[in-house]
Amino acid sequence: MGMTKADRRMDGWADGAALLALLLLSAYPPIRLSAQDTTAGRAVYEKWCAGCHGETGAGDGPAAGTMLPRPRDFTGAIYQIRTTASGQLPTDDDLRLAIDRGLPGTAMPGWKDQLSERDRRDVLAYLKTFSAFFADTTQRPEPLVFGKEPGGGTSVDALRIGRQFYDSIGCRKCHGDRGRGDGPSAPTLKDDAGFPVFAANLTENWRFNGGSEVADIYRRLRSGLDGTPMPSFSDLIDQQFLTEAELWRLAQYVRSLSPARPPEVRDVIHARQVAARLPTSPDDSVWGRVERYWVPLVGQVMRKSRWFTPAASGVWVQAVHDGQQLALRVSWDDRSQSPDSAWLEFTDRVLETVARDDSTPPAPTPWPDQLAVQFPLAIPEGFERPFFLMGAATRPVYQWRWTSTPGGVREDSLSAAVAGLARGIDRFDPLPGTPLSAQAVYDQGEWRVVFSRSLATADTANQLHLRTGRAIPVAFFAWDGSNGETGTRMAVSTWYFLALDTPVRAQVFVSPILAAALALGLGLTLVRRAQRPRSQIRRRSDA
Amino acid sequence: MNGIRAAIRHPFWQALAILVIAFVAIEFGIPVLPDSADVPASVVLQYMVTVLVGVLIYVSDNEQRWTQFREPIRAVLVEPRLTPVRWSLLAAVPALVGWVAYGQVATRVEAPPILRSIHPAPPAEITFRSRPMTLTGLENPLRAVRDSLPDFVGEGKRIYYQNCLPCHGDHLDGQGHFAPGFNPLPANFQDDGTIAQLTESFVFWRIAKGGPGLPREGAPWNSAMPAWEDFLTEREIWAVILFLYEQTGRRPRTWEKTGDGHD
Repeated sequence: MGMTKADRRMDGWADGAALLALLLLSAYPPIRLSAQDTTAGRAVYEKWCAGCHGETGAGDGPAAGTMLPRPRDFTGAIYQIRTTASGQLPTDDDLRLAIDRGLPGTAMPGWKDQLSERDRRDVLAYLKTFSAFFADTTQRPEPLVFGKEPGGGTSVDALRIGRQFYDSIGCRKCHGDRGRGDGPSAPTLKDDAGFPVFAANLTENWRFNGGSEVADIYRRLRSGLDGTPMPSFSDLIDQQFLTEAELWRLAQYVRSLSPARPPEVRDVIHARQVAARLPTSPDDSVWGRVERYWVPLVGQVMRKSRWFTPAASGVWVQAVHDGQQLALRVSWDDRSQSPDSAWLEFTDRVLETVARDDSTPPAPTPWPDQLAVQFPLAIPEGFERPFFLMGAATRPVYQWRWTSTPGGVREDSLSAAVAGLARGIDRFDPLPGTPLSAQAVYDQGEWRVVFSRSLATADTANQLHLRTGRAIPVAFFAWDGSNGETGTRMAVSTWYFLALDTPVRAQVFVSPILAAALALGLGLTLVRRAQRPRSQIRRRSDA
Repeated sequence: MNGIRAAIRHPFWQALAILVIAFVAIEFGIPVLPDSADVPASVVLQYMVTVLVGVLIYVSDNEQRWTQFREPIRAVLVEPRLTPVRWSLLAAVPALVGWVAYGQVATRVEAPPILRSIHPAPPAEITFRSRPMTLTGLENPLRAVRDSLPDFVGEGKRIYYQNCLPCHGDHLDGQGHFAPGFNPLPANFQDDGTIAQLTESFVFWRIAKGGPGLPREGAPWNSAMPAWEDFLTEREIWAVILFLYEQTGRRPRTWEKTGDGHD
């Protein structure tokens, strides 16, 4: 072409300058560069995130069907957990926190210890490219600004004010009177994409997606959970329906519905021996003084048909005995008193949304709620036990099964529980004429069922003989009918242990008392010796 | 102020401070270190005894320090103005001794120890979907088709996310959202002690037969691992295995070559 020597030299210069500029750029402002270059973020995303959130960010990866709530769809840029006003994009810090800490109560884990700082920053930049909304840099999302939490948040007065607004701004419509997510509107809830949504169970703050403490709750009240039926209440402050301080009181009230700390999982459920009459009614005041044990439940994912989204996250277990009889109370949260046809549409939505093993979806039916308590046939001598998931044909397990009755709990609910043998997940043979009794009550989103049975049994071939002072394997299973749970679709636990404790024998106190007396004697001697005049000691040692 | 300064120099308060600092460091400091855990009570006791012996050697090292060290102790025993302290100690120490002794003699039912072999010996042969299969010397057949490897890994990834994720987790570290509900905990594939030290045939056996297929020493009654032969084909299981190694960057253990002269 018509290029002169000088041109060529100039060209060379330009190349060199461009290369130098590129080198400087890549060495100097690394943050800006990586924020624009999303190929690194894309590689991280495709390796670790796409399995749930999908290659295109639409929240439709291969795992999406096993989750409720579903993975976030990044293409719509609608985020529930934000610090910004309703309808706004989240800040980078909001996204960073979600990636670092994960979202409790969902399948989203925290990635802080799993991915490097750089990987997390890159992936954040990449997932913003899924939506054009983030490209508009004229709109910078800013966190809502508000004051600090007012003190005295646990006082009776503060909680009374909080409760007042809980009622007046309509929280109970979805979250229910006691906050267990059982409000009258609960069966109608779905998100913007049409997926079923549960009103949060406010008594399980360790499962709150956006954090468990008062400040987290307040932020959710101010920002709303975009894309879900949970609105922002900031406009009520603007309209002077309530003050910021009053909304803080509401957040404090919501926090007070959960225990101070998340429940601790313990291997052994201890049943104290009591001298008084055993509490066989679910609302006997004695239960208020009996220690509660939390047993977590997860989906049955071992046998067809598997169930990935159980409703119950666990059961509280309490037990007492009197040397003759055992009373065992199981309490768990359930949004509906099944069977309840008001929930049929919701059941249908759940079954449509969640992945299944069977090709044809089961027809939604007003299934009842159920609970099973499982033991081996006999207390094992060695470490061998029957299979935790309802035994096997060759090695059955002994179970107590309770089923809710239509039209609520009736007087004859005693008959709703049967003892029997499970021979694998799909076979349960009731034992007729067993001395098991059960009483149940459904109260504001919670089932409380008390089973009672004599410790001894005449039928030791089929029924567990309960003995004191032994670790008795025990497991729990729960079905929420309105969540589509029946048959193999249930929530399960592994083996725990039940121990029927006996009162401490008097001999046990002998050695501690002796040891304490000895220590006291030693101490007194020491004092006496030290207090004796020095001259006296000297005289004696001289002698 | 002067009182505090004097106390800092005083061997008795120094000894007390060392003991308190040591206890705080062992009980609360060590657990917050990365890759660390709570120190068991018996180990705390051992450490504290060691520290105590060291402190006693230090304070008795010279005559003057030893006399000074004993001064507050003697004062508590003798001084009339310290009578309340004296009597509180006389009550508190025996009570503590009695309480510790009670803790030693009172028995409480505890969960039996878990005696479980984590990697039990695999059988030489299994029946996969009613077809006999020899595990010894078995390699992942998909690795032979080198050109299709990325496709197989992709297939394995899809199968993993549809089936394994609730327990084994997004990071393959055994921390899926169902993991806290199970005991034993799901296997952590990122760990040095799992797939990294196993042959692919062993992994195939564990996936195909799951918890119920474990020998007795593996405590099959506790494991929530399904027998995946009920859900997946042979090819799908091999594909998942490819994905596990690919995603974690681990290499499977290979069968030792025999017959080439050296071992």
